[in-house]
Amino acid sequence: MEFLSPATWEEALAAKSERPDAVPIMGGTDVMVEINFDRRRPPALIDLTRVPGLREWRADGDGVRLGAGVPYTGIVDALGGAAPALAAAARSVASPQIRNRGSVGGNLGGASPAGDAHPPLLATDAVVELASVGGVRRVPAREFYLGPRRTARRDDELIAAVLLPAPAGPQRFAKVGTRNAMVIAVVSFALALDARSRTVGTGIGSAGPTPLRAPGAEEFAAAEFDWEGGAPLPESAVHRFGELVAAAARPIDDVRGSAGYRRHALAVLARRALARAAADYREGGARCA
Amino acid sequence: MATRMFGMPVQRTEDERLITGKGGYLDDLGAGAYAAAFVRSPHAHARVRDIDVTGALDVEGLVAVYTHEDLSGPMAEPLPLLIPHPAILDGRTPYALAKEYVHYVGEPVVMVVARDRYVAEDAVGRIAVDYETLDPVVGIEAAARAERVVHAGMSDNVAAHLVQEVGDARAAIAAAPNRIELDLDIERSACTPMEGRGVYARWDGRDAMLRLYSSTQTASGVRAAVAAKLGLQLGQVEVVVPDVGGGFGVKIVHPWPEELMVPWAARALGHEVKWAEDRREHFTAAAHERAQRQHVTVGFDDEGRLLGLDVDILHDNGAYLPYGIIVPIVTSTQLLGPYKPGAYRVEFRSLYTTTAIVTPYRGAGRPQGVFAMERTMDAIAAHLGMDRADVRAANFIQPEEMPYDQGLLFQDGRPLIYDSGDYPASLEKIKKLVGWDDFTAYRDAARAEGRKVGIGLACYVEGTGPGPYEGGHVQVETSGKVRVATGLTTQGQGHQTALAQIVADELGVPMSDISVTTGDTRRMPYSVGTFASRGAVMSGSAVALAARRLKEKALRIAADALEADAEDLEIVDGRVQVRGTPSAGIELGTVAVLSNPLRYAFDEASKAATQFTGAADYTRPPVAADDEPGLEGTDFYSPLRSTFASGMHAVVVETDPETAEIRILRYCVVHDCGKLVNPLIVEGQVHGGVAQGVAGALYERMEYDSGGQLLNASFMDFLMPYASEVPKVEIDHLETPSPLNPLGIKGAGEAGVIPGAAVIAAAVEDAEGFAITRMPVSPSELFHLRRRFDKGGIAPLPGAYSRTGEANA
Ligand SMILES: Cc1cc2nc3c(=O)[nH]c(=O)nc-3n(C[C@H](O)[C@H](O)[C@H](O)COP(=O)(O)OP(=O)(O)OC[C@H]3O[C@@H](n4cnc5c(N)ncnc54)[C@H](O)[C@@H]3O)c2cc1C
Repeated sequence: MEFLSPATWEEALAAKSERPDAVPIMGGTDVMVEINFDRRRPPALIDLTRVPGLREWRADGDGVRLGAGVPYTGIVDALGGAAPALAAAARSVASPQIRNRGSVGGNLGGASPAGDAHPPLLATDAVVELASVGGVRRVPAREFYLGPRRTARRDDELIAAVLLPAPAGPQRFAKVGTRNAMVIAVVSFALALDARSRTVGTGIGSAGPTPLRAPGAEEFAAAEFDWEGGAPLPESAVHRFGELVAAAARPIDDVRGSAGYRRHALAVLARRALARAAADYREGGARCA
Repeated sequence: MATRMFGMPVQRTEDERLITGKGGYLDDLGAGAYAAAFVRSPHAHARVRDIDVTGALDVEGLVAVYTHEDLSGPMAEPLPLLIPHPAILDGRTPYALAKEYVHYVGEPVVMVVARDRYVAEDAVGRIAVDYETLDPVVGIEAAARAERVVHAGMSDNVAAHLVQEVGDARAAIAAAPNRIELDLDIERSACTPMEGRGVYARWDGRDAMLRLYSSTQTASGVRAAVAAKLGLQLGQVEVVVPDVGGGFGVKIVHPWPEELMVPWAARALGHEVKWAEDRREHFTAAAHERAQRQHVTVGFDDEGRLLGLDVDILHDNGAYLPYGIIVPIVTSTQLLGPYKPGAYRVEFRSLYTTTAIVTPYRGAGRPQGVFAMERTMDAIAAHLGMDRADVRAANFIQPEEMPYDQGLLFQDGRPLIYDSGDYPASLEKIKKLVGWDDFTAYRDAARAEGRKVGIGLACYVEGTGPGPYEGGHVQVETSGKVRVATGLTTQGQGHQTALAQIVADELGVPMSDISVTTGDTRRMPYSVGTFASRGAVMSGSAVALAARRLKEKALRIAADALEADAEDLEIVDGRVQVRGTPSAGIELGTVAVLSNPLRYAFDEASKAATQFTGAADYTRPPVAADDEPGLEGTDFYSPLRSTFASGMHAVVVETDPETAEIRILRYCVVHDCGKLVNPLIVEGQVHGGVAQGVAGALYERMEYDSGGQLLNASFMDFLMPYASEVPKVEIDHLETPSPLNPLGIKGAGEAGVIPGAAVIAAAVEDAEGFAITRMPVSPSELFHLRRRFDKGGIAPLPGAYSRTGEANA
C-alpha cells in the first residue's frame, strides 16, 4: 500500500487527480476501521492531515466555511451558535477520542447513512465544496447523496469545505442509539426552521440507503407553523408531521433495530423536535429571526 | 498489637503499577519471537477438501506453515475433554488444527509462523483452502430439531442429557392448587476481556525445557495439558502467567488449539514463537456463554409456597464440548437459589451448534438459573396477587435450617449443601435499601405524569470456592521480606492485596514487606485455577494455613534464640518478641538466617548462621531429622464442599413511553460473601459484576445469522455498556461466616452479574404491565412487545397496570 503525504492542497489535488483510486485519509476513524476489518485494501492512501487550512473554519458572508478536516471537538467548542444542529450532532458522535479526530469531511467522504453530520447538513441546506485540479464545485448537501455510499463527489475530487448558512431560526438534532455513548445511530433526525424564507428543513439518518429529507413533512410544517408568533402547533399537526417524516424513511431491519421500530422512533424524534423548535422559536424568536 | 488488615478497605497495591502502564502483559513479552497467525474457517460447517499453501511460500519472512498433516502422536488427536461426566453422551472436542471438518466460523485450520505478525497475516491471506460447505446448525431450535447434524456419526445434536430429581415433582405439581408454565429464553453473550488470549513459548533445546507464558486462568492446567500433548515430562514444562487483562471465565478453557500449536512450533523450530489474539479472533474463535431455553412448570399453594418445580432446559454448547457440561449443571442446581422448591425435577439437554464453543462466563450458568427461578417467583406473585417480596419470603430456607441439603449433586461433584446464610435478613436489608414498600406510591405518581417506572427484585445463592484444593507457600527472606506464592492466577481480582492482607495478619508483618506471586508453576506447581469465585476462599485459606506453619517454626527458632517459651512469643511488625517485654526480641529476618545453618557466609546477616558462630549444640545435627532448612511454610487447603454466598438485587427502571428506551434509575445490592477480606475489593467486584449483568440484560448479544456468521464481531456492534450505561451501585453487606474454611469467607467474584437479567426483566415487566420472558431486551424489542400487547397478543399481568394506566383486575 502506497502512502502519499502531500504538504499542500495543490499537491493533494494533484495526487488525487493522478491516482483517483487513492483513498484520502483525514481523521482515519472510518478508513482505519475498514482496513483493520479487511473490508478494503486501497492501493494508496493520501494523508490529508498535513495539508494546511483543512482543519480551520472561518466566517463566510453570514455563514461559516468549515474546513473538511475540522474535528468534531472543534465544532462542539466553536460552532454551537453558528451551526446549532451540526454542533449538537457533533456532540453526539462516538467518544472524546473519536471526536478529536473524526471530521465532517470524513463523514461526507464515507457517506454512511448513519453518519451524524448528514441530517443537519440536509436540514440547514448546507453546501459541500468539492475541488480538483480542474477547479472548485459547490454542491448543495441536498444533491450530494446519490445512493448507498455514493455521492456527487467525483473520483478525482477532494472535499475542501462545507458552507454552513447562518441559522435563521431554531435548529434541533436528536438521535436514538443503542446505548448512550459510542453509538451508531438507530435513527437520527435534524430540523431547522428558517424564519427568513419561512421554510422548514429536515434530515433523516440511519433510516434509508442514504441520508434523506422528508419534503412532504417540510412543506406541511412550513404551512402549519405560525411564523409570526410561533404559537404552539396543535397536537394533531405535530403528530401529522411525525407521520410524514416516518413515511419519508426507507429503513431496514438490522442488528441495531427493526424497520418498524426505526419508523416509530423517527416519528417520535420528529414530533419532539418540532414541538421543541416551536417553543425555542417563541422564546428566542427575536434572537434567531 | 498492630492493626488487623483482614476486613480493612485497603487500596489495591497492584493498581498503581497497572494503571500507570507498568503492567507486563503477554504481548509485552517476546519481542524477538516469531509471530503466529492462523488461517481460520470462514464457514460454520464444512469439509476441508484441500489446502494449497503455495501462494504463501514466497512471502518474504515466512518461517513455516503447518496443517493437521504435520501433526503426529497426541498432537494429532482431539483436544482433551477437560471435565468428563457420565451424562455426556458424545463429547466432541476440536483438533489443534482442523483435521477434516470445521464446525464454526473461526476454527483454526492452518498455522503460519513468520518473522512478524504482518508477514504472517500476509501469508495467511495467500493460503487457499478448498471447502465443501455443509449445512450449518444455528440456534437452539435448529439444534433440537436435528434436521441437520453438527457432528458426523451422530444422529442428533445432543451432547449430554441429565436429569436430577428430588421427590416426585410432577406428581406434586399435578396435585398443587395452582400451576403455571413459563417459556424463557436467554441469548448468548461473552466475557470479552480487554486483553484477548495469548501464548508465548520458549524452547530451550539444550536443557530440553519449555517455558510457556499464557494469558490463562490456570497455569497448572496448561502445564499438564501441554506436557501431555507435546510428550514432555511435567518437569520439563514451566508455565508463567504474566499480568492478565481480564478473563471472566474464557481463559479457564485450556489447552486452546493455539496454546498447543505455539509451544509445539517453538520446539519444532527451535525458536521463540508468540501469538496474541486479535479482537475479531476473540469474538469468533474464543468462547461464549448464556444461551438457553427453559420451560418451567411450577405448582404452588395459595400462600405462594412452591410444592413442585419442573424445569426443562435446552442449552446451546456450541461446536464442541471441551469444558464438559459445567454450565448447564450450574444452571440446574443453582436455579434453586435461597428457596425450598418442594419436589424438584430438572432435565437438561446440551446441544451442539455450528457456532463458537460455550464455556463459563462470570456467573457460569447462574444468571440463566436465577432468571428461571426469579421469573417464576414473579409469575407466582402475579398469579396470586401477592407482593413479590412476600412470595420469596414464603419460600426461603431459614437460617436455623442451615446447613441445608438440596439433595442434588453440585458442579464439583459433591452434595449441594448450603453451609450458611440468612436470607430473611438480606431481604429486609434490600427492601429498606431500595424503598420497596414505598415504591407503589412513587410508581403511581410517575404514571400520573405519563412516566413509566418499575421495580424488580431478584435473589440468588452462589456456590463458590469449590475444590479440589489450592496451595500456599510463604517464605521469609533473610531481609525480613515475605514472599507468598499461590498457584492460581490473577486477572484483576486484587489477589496481591487480599492475600497480603491475610498473611500480614497471620505473621504479624507489615503489608509493605509482603509480595505475592500467582500463576507461576515454578513457585507453586500444585494448583487448580481461578474460576467459580474461588481465589479468596481457596488461596486465601491456603496462604493462611501456610503462614501459620511458618509462624510456628519462626516462634520455635526464636524461642531457642531468646531462651524463651514459644508460647510467650508474638510477632509484631516483623519482629518476634516476648509478650509484655517487647525489648526482648529478634527480627524475623534474623530468624530466617538462623533457620538455615550455613557453611559459607555471603553477607553480614549470613555470618550469624555459619558453623563457627554462636553456641552450637553438639548433641543435635544442625538441621533436625524432622526439620528443614529455611523459614518457609507450605500448606494446602482442600474444602469439604463449596461454600454458598448469596445476595439480592433490586433495581428501578424507567422506560420511555414513546421510544421504549430503558434507563436504570437505581441499582441496589445486598451481598453476603461471609467475612469480607477487603470491602473495597468486594465492592469493586460487585460493581464490575453489575456492569456485566446490565450488559447481559440490555445490551450484549451474539448476533449469528442463519449461516453461522457472527454479524456483530466488533465492539462497534457488540454493545458493551460504558460508564454512561452502568448505574451507580448502592451496596449493603451482610456477613454470614462460612463454617467450612479457616477464615469464614465465601467467594465474591461473580456475585454482581448473577441476578442482572432477572432483576432488570422484573423491573421492565413492572413498568410495562406484561411479562418479560426473553433477555436481553433492546428498545426495538420492547417496542414490538408493546405493539403485540396493544393488539392483545400478550396477556396483561394480573394485578398490573394496562397501558392506559388503569389497574386490571
Ligand atoms: C469507535 C467509532 C465510533 C464512531 N461513532 C460515530 C458516530 O457516533 N457518528 C458518526 O457519524 N460516525 C461515527 N464514526 C465514524 C467516523 O468517526 C465518522 O464517519 C467521521 O466523521 C469520519 O471522519 P474522519 O476524518 O475520521 O474520516 P476518515 O476515516 O479519514 O475518512 C472517511 C472517508 O472519507 C474520505 N475522506 C476523508 N476526508 C476526505 C476529503 N477531504 N475529501 C474526500 N474524501 C475524504 C476517506 O477517503 C474515507 O472514505 C465512528 C467511528 C468509530 C471508529
